This record gives sequence, structure tokens and C-alpha cells, in this order.
Amino acid sequence: MNENRILNHILRVMKNLNFLIILYTSVMIFCGLQGYIQENTAMNFLAQVNTLPEAPWKIPVLTICLFGCCVLLMNMENIQGRGLVLKVCLELGIAVWISSFLGFSYTGMILLILADTIRYIPRTKGQIPFAVIIGLFYLLIDYDLITICRDIIPLDAYLAYYQKDVTAVWLGIRNVASSLNVLVFIIYMIMLVRVQMNEKERIMVLNERLDALYSDLLDANVQLEEYARESVKMAETKERNRLAREIHDTIGHALTGIITGIDACMALMDVAPEVAKKQLGAIGEVARQGMTDVRRSVRALRPDALEKFDLENALSRTINDMCTATNAEIEYQCDTRLDCFTEDEEDMIYRIVQESITNAIRHGHANYIRVLIGRTGDTLQISVKDNGIGCKDIKEGFGLHHMKERLEMLGGSLRYNGKEGFEVEACIPIRRGMEEV
Amino acid sequence: MDKFSRRKNVIIGVLCAIILIFTTVIQSDMYKRTAWGTKHVITVGAFSDSYWEVQNGYSYYILNDAIQRFEEQYPNVKVRFESGIMKEDYSEWLAEKMLSGDTPDVFFVLPDDFNGLAELGALKDLSDFTADDSTFDDGQFYDSAYAYGQLEGVQFALPYECAPKLMFVNKSILDREDIAMPEKDWTWNDFYEICSKVTKDTDGDGEIDQFGEVGYSWRDAFTSNGVELFNQDGTQCYLAGENTKKAVTFMDRLEECSGGVNVGSRDFDKGNVAFQPMSFSEYRAYKSYPLSVKKYSGFEWECIPMPSGPNGDNVSSLDTLMVAMNRNTKNAKYAWEFMKILTYDKAIQSEIFKYSEGASVLKSVTDSDKAPQELGQHIDGSGILDQQILSDAIENAAVAPRFRNYDYAVAEIDRAINEIIAGQSNIGTELIIWDRSINRKLKNSGW
Repeated sequence: MNENRILNHILRVMKNLNFLIILYTSVMIFCGLQGYIQENTAMNFLAQVNTLPEAPWKIPVLTICLFGCCVLLMNMENIQGRGLVLKVCLELGIAVWISSFLGFSYTGMILLILADTIRYIPRTKGQIPFAVIIGLFYLLIDYDLITICRDIIPLDAYLAYYQKDVTAVWLGIRNVASSLNVLVFIIYMIMLVRVQMNEKERIMVLNERLDALYSDLLDANVQLEEYARESVKMAETKERNRLAREIHDTIGHALTGIITGIDACMALMDVAPEVAKKQLGAIGEVARQGMTDVRRSVRALRPDALEKFDLENALSRTINDMCTATNAEIEYQCDTRLDCFTEDEEDMIYRIVQESITNAIRHGHANYIRVLIGRTGDTLQISVKDNGIGCKDIKEGFGLHHMKERLEMLGGSLRYNGKEGFEVEACIPIRRGMEEV
Repeated sequence: MDKFSRRKNVIIGVLCAIILIFTTVIQSDMYKRTAWGTKHVITVGAFSDSYWEVQNGYSYYILNDAIQRFEEQYPNVKVRFESGIMKEDYSEWLAEKMLSGDTPDVFFVLPDDFNGLAELGALKDLSDFTADDSTFDDGQFYDSAYAYGQLEGVQFALPYECAPKLMFVNKSILDREDIAMPEKDWTWNDFYEICSKVTKDTDGDGEIDQFGEVGYSWRDAFTSNGVELFNQDGTQCYLAGENTKKAVTFMDRLEECSGGVNVGSRDFDKGNVAFQPMSFSEYRAYKSYPLSVKKYSGFEWECIPMPSGPNGDNVSSLDTLMVAMNRNTKNAKYAWEFMKILTYDKAIQSEIFKYSEGASVLKSVTDSDKAPQELGQHIDGSGILDQQILSDAIENAAVAPRFRNYDYAVAEIDRAINEIIAGQSNIGTELIIWDRSINRKLKNSGW
């Protein structure tokens, strides 16, 4: 940022310097011409030249106007592409115009144009061709070359009016200024190259850092994946161990008791049938106790909601959660009590509703879902219907298949229809003689 | 590009366009055309005294008449000129006007300035006007006078008035020596014979005091011997030709004839020289009363054409004052019309015989019956110039091709001839040597 400000400063110095040189030269010409006229030696002047000069007053006035125009053009902002080419051409044209007033004795303005232009062109987009073309221009706008195709009045002719020593001073000052312009240009270019090199370096450093970070990230990712795999494995192992322990503690324990009891009963059956009978009672108790333990174990594997709430609350809670989480509108209507089901059945009902809503949102992209639970006779009917895209060619995925299998195990049935939205209808028989309400 | 930059760029673009248009208008003088509103103004550059260096008191008579005529024809145009500029200051005045960008639209061009101005590009090429103007026929002009306004074949000026060179003869000397007046078609031999006959010591003091000629230059000899010194575009000089050699040899003989005495034109004025080539304008000026009394009072004199060389004719050179148009004039149409009034209008042209000492450049005017009357009014009766001599002299006048560096080349040839005649070497060899040197310079423009 700071370096850019220095570049702008140098450019400003160049502009001022060019202004002074052009003003100085044109005033010099003006004074020379006026001198010829005042001293009645105009014929001498005309004898030296091949063409008529502009009227004296026009030279300073027009060169300064044109220079102002050129500087204005340089102040244009954000010019790109064709506009930039047009702008540069215009600036070069003006520079040549100004130069033609000054007998092509000064072409340093083209350096100013080059310095100004080169900043706007990204390095990748033809900075070099631009510089080369403008540079060529600088070389070709030469007094001797142009005299081939055009009559020009050389600066010397205007200066011939002055005495030799005065001419030397006039020209000396101008040449120093002109060389200074070249010097400032060179400094500008060196600064520009430095700025660009610094930028390049900075980008390279950033790039390297980015590369390092990226490879770190890749490593971390690999580690994370490994860790995830391991933790899945660990969870599996833990679960397996827990299950094994549960089985060992509950069923294993109960079965061991039962086997031992039955063995004892077989021995006692003939000797003391009464004791065996008593013993069998005890075995029954062990088996029941085992059953209770198994139930307890199974309960430990149930869904959270069902664990904490009863089915009705769990359902409405889940549906509410889904509503807030997905922005889909879910209408839930339940016309019957739901406290008459076994845990298996509760699980089943909960899973069907949950799975259907999930499917409607995920696959059907629905924003309205209606969940109806009702009872006809001894059958509980669950209907989940959505307004999503539906599915004409239904392939029974794992979800549906699993639902159907579990329903069939409990003596129920599943129907579904994907023509208008998607509709799932499940029927579950109510077994524990619950009265209809 | 954000909105602010876009607006800024548009403002800059508009400003730049305004500046560029302003610059173009100023540079091309377009503002001059509109500055005067509906009334057009054309400016004329002219000098107050006569081109022929005679104080005749008629300054601006013809110009004023021309302006009046023009303004009657074009009431919406005003013609202006700056008065009081003397002929000797005129070239400098014109140069200053050109330097300060105030060049008049139409201006007189002295023959000495013509080449320089045309090369500078100060004069407008008139080819389009002469070709497009159906009322204009360049055949009305004497060819020689018309060709005077050409450089490298391009017409840059129209002739205004002209004067051919004629040979002035001191009739008194010829009568005294019992020599008949030469005929119109006399030759170098006649010329030489008379010169050698009259060159003598009349008062017996041992010094020659009566001479054959004064002021007969190599140019007169070249012109009357059909020498074409340069090709049209001035890249070739033919100094070593046979005609040239004869002319230089003749000059050498004439020089010897005077016996090495340096004769001046005052000797002619005093009546001691038989021949002097002079311009027709001098005939006009001094033949007329009362000026003739002052200058040539002691003898009778007459004008005849120049003598012809062995390969040439009785041809002489022509001096022509021209009118040209400023190349950058904004009123080219009116400027051309005004030029035409000055040079092509018979009434104005016939005023030349009245108010000036030259001859009209229009054949019909110079040949007309009125011309001798105008001439006669000023002539004291000692002899009226044969009108035919004048007309023939103009018609047949030789006009050398004009080109860049013409003046330098002629100066160089002048130096060459003077050195050859002054020296004793073989004329043919010397001419060849000079020819090579001058040709080399012509090719390299190395002046």
C-alpha cells in the first residue's frame, strides 16, 4: 500500500515535470517567433524552414490545452479491455499532436503515458506487448524520421533568433529537465518492478503456508477417519460385550438355574414327586425372573423417547420436533388411546410413524404431512400421507421392507401408494382385549 | 466498475472531447470564418508603390477599382487591405503576417519570393479552381505569364502584370556611326558587329569612351539561344550543352569587345552606350514626359526585341508580378473570385496601361486597340513602341521551369559563367566541370 503511494508520487512528479518542459519549450518557441516579428527578420526565419509555423500565441495555448486533456484522460478510473486500448491510443495521439507543435523536439510525454498505463494492466494480460508498442512509439517519434514524410520546423529554427549563448542556456535547461524526466521514469519502473516482485514473494509465501496447512488437514482427515472406524468398532465391541454380559447374566443365569433345577427334578421325580413339584415351581420362578431380566435388557435397547415417555407423548413430541426441525407442516390426529400395546408394538408404531415422516421429507420433499391414527374394531390403523413428489415406481427399500416384516411378525399388514404424494397405511391387530372407547 | 468511477469517467470524457474540439477549431482557424457573422471579409496584401519602382502617384488605383467591382458583385463580402506598405518592405511584411498567422487571403507575390512561398506551402494550389471554374480560361493569358505562377507544374499564382525584357537602342549613336536600326529579327552577329563598330575612343584621349552594350547577361544570351538549363522538376542541369557553349562563347567575345573596360548603366544614361537590355516597364516609365527629360535627355532611343542566337529566337525573359491565395484561407471561393477580378477582368487589366508601367497579362487587353492609345498618352512622340513587338515579346518570353532550390542553382550558374569568362581556360571543358558539380548539388539538394 505504502509502495503504491510512492508510485503515485513519482507519477505526479513526472506529470509536473512534463508540464513544465512543454510549457517551457512552447514559451521558448513563442518568444522566438515574436522576436523574429518584432525585429523584422521574419524573412530570415522563413528562409530556414520548409513549412509555415502556427501563429505564435497558439503554440503555448494549444499545447497546454492538449496536455491538460492528456492528464485528464490519465485520471480515468477502472478502464479495461477495449476502453483501455482506446484511452492509450488517444493519449498517444495527443502526445504526438503536442510534439508536432514543438517541432518533435520533445517526446518524453510518451514515457509518462507508458508509466501511467503499465500500472493498470495486469501482468498476465499483455503488460509486455503494451509496453513494447508504446516504447516503439517513443522510438519512432523522432524528428529526423518524421521529416521523411512531413515538413517540420526544427526547434533550432525557432531558437536561431536568440544569440548563441542564450540559446545554450535555453536548451541546457530544457535538456536537463528532459533527462530528469527519463531518470524519474527509470526510478518509477524500478519501483514498479520492486512492488510487483514483493507482491509475488508475498503470494508465494502465502501459497507455501497454504500448502502446508492443506497437507496437515489431509493428515488430520485420515486420522479422523481411522478414529471414527475405531470408535465404531469399539462401540460394537462394547455393545457385544454388554450383550454377552446381559445374556450371560440374565438368560445364562436363568437357564443355568433352570437346567440345574430340571436335573434335580428328574432325579427327584420318582423319589419325591412332591419335592419335585415344589422344585418345578421354583424353576418356574427362576424362568420368570429370567424373563423379567430379558425384558429389562431389551428395554435398555429401546428408543429414547419411548424410554422416557409413553407412546402418545413420544409420538407428539417427535412430530413437534420434526415440525420445527424441517419447516414441514405436520398434522397429527389420534382418535384412540395408545396405552394398550406391548413394548414391541409400541416400538413398531413409533418406528412406522417416524420412518414414514422421515421418508416423506427426505425422498418426497413434502411440506405437508398428515398423520392419522385410528381404530376400527380390533385393528389399529395408521395412515401417513404427504403432498410430496410421490413415487411412481416403488422399489421396496430397507426401510419399507423392514417395516413390513416386523408388522407381519405382529400379525399386521402394510400398504403404500406413491401416485399422489406418498401414502403409507399400516394395520395392527389389538390383542390384549381392550375395550373400544 | 462502480457507479462513481463511471460517472467520473464520463465527465472526463466529455471534458476531453470539448478540449479536443476547441484545439482543432483554434488550430485550423475555423473560428475566423464565423467571427465576422454574416458578412464575409477577405483581406488583401498589397504594396503602395509600383512594382516597377517608379513613383507614379497611382498607388492602389487599380486595387481600389477592383475592390469596388468585386463588392458590387458580392455585396455580402468586404475586402480589406493594409495600406502604406512599401514594395521594399513588402516581403518582410508578408513574412511577418505569415508568422503571426494573419496571412491575407489574397496577396501579391513578387517573383523573387514566389519559389520560397510556394515551397513553404503558403500558397494555395489553384489547379482545382482553374479546372472547375467554367468562366475561367487560362488560354486568355499569355502562356509565358501564366506559366510564371507554376512551381514543379503546379499553378500557385495568377499573373497580374508583366514586363518583358527589351533591347534599348541609343539611336543617336547609331545615326552618328551611320548604322541602320536593326530589324526586329536581328541576330547575335548583327549585335556583335554593331558593338564592335561603335566601341571606340571618340574624343582621342586614348581611352575608349563609347561602348557597344551594357547589362547584356548570360541569361539574355541563354534565353535567346534556346538553352533549356534545367529539366522540369529541377533534378538535372544541362550546362554543358552545345547551345550553352555557344552562348558563353558569345558572351566572352562581347566582353573582349569592350576592351576590358567596366561599363556601367550610367554610361548608357550619359549616351555613351549603344545597347542596354531593359524591362518594358522602364520604357513606359522613362519614355513618358516629364521623366524622360530627367533621365535620357541627350539622345534619342528606341526599343527593339533582343537579338537571336544561332539556335534560338528573338526571345527574352519576362518579369511578372503575381497574385496568390493563402493556402489556409477560409474564404477560398471569394478569394478566387477576387483574384479573377484582379487578373482576369479586362476592365481592371486595361487599367494597368493607365496606372502602372507593366503590360497586361491578358492577350486581348495588350493586343487591343485601346492599349496603344493609353501608351501614346504618355509618350512624347519620339517614336511609338510597335504594339506587335510588345505582344510578341511577352508571348515568346521564355519561362524557365521553377523548382525548389532554383534560386540557389541560378546563383551557382551565375558564379560559374562569371568565372569562366574571367578565366582563360577552355570554355567547353570548364562548362563540363561546372555541369558535373551543379548536377551533384541538385541531386543531393546540397546547397
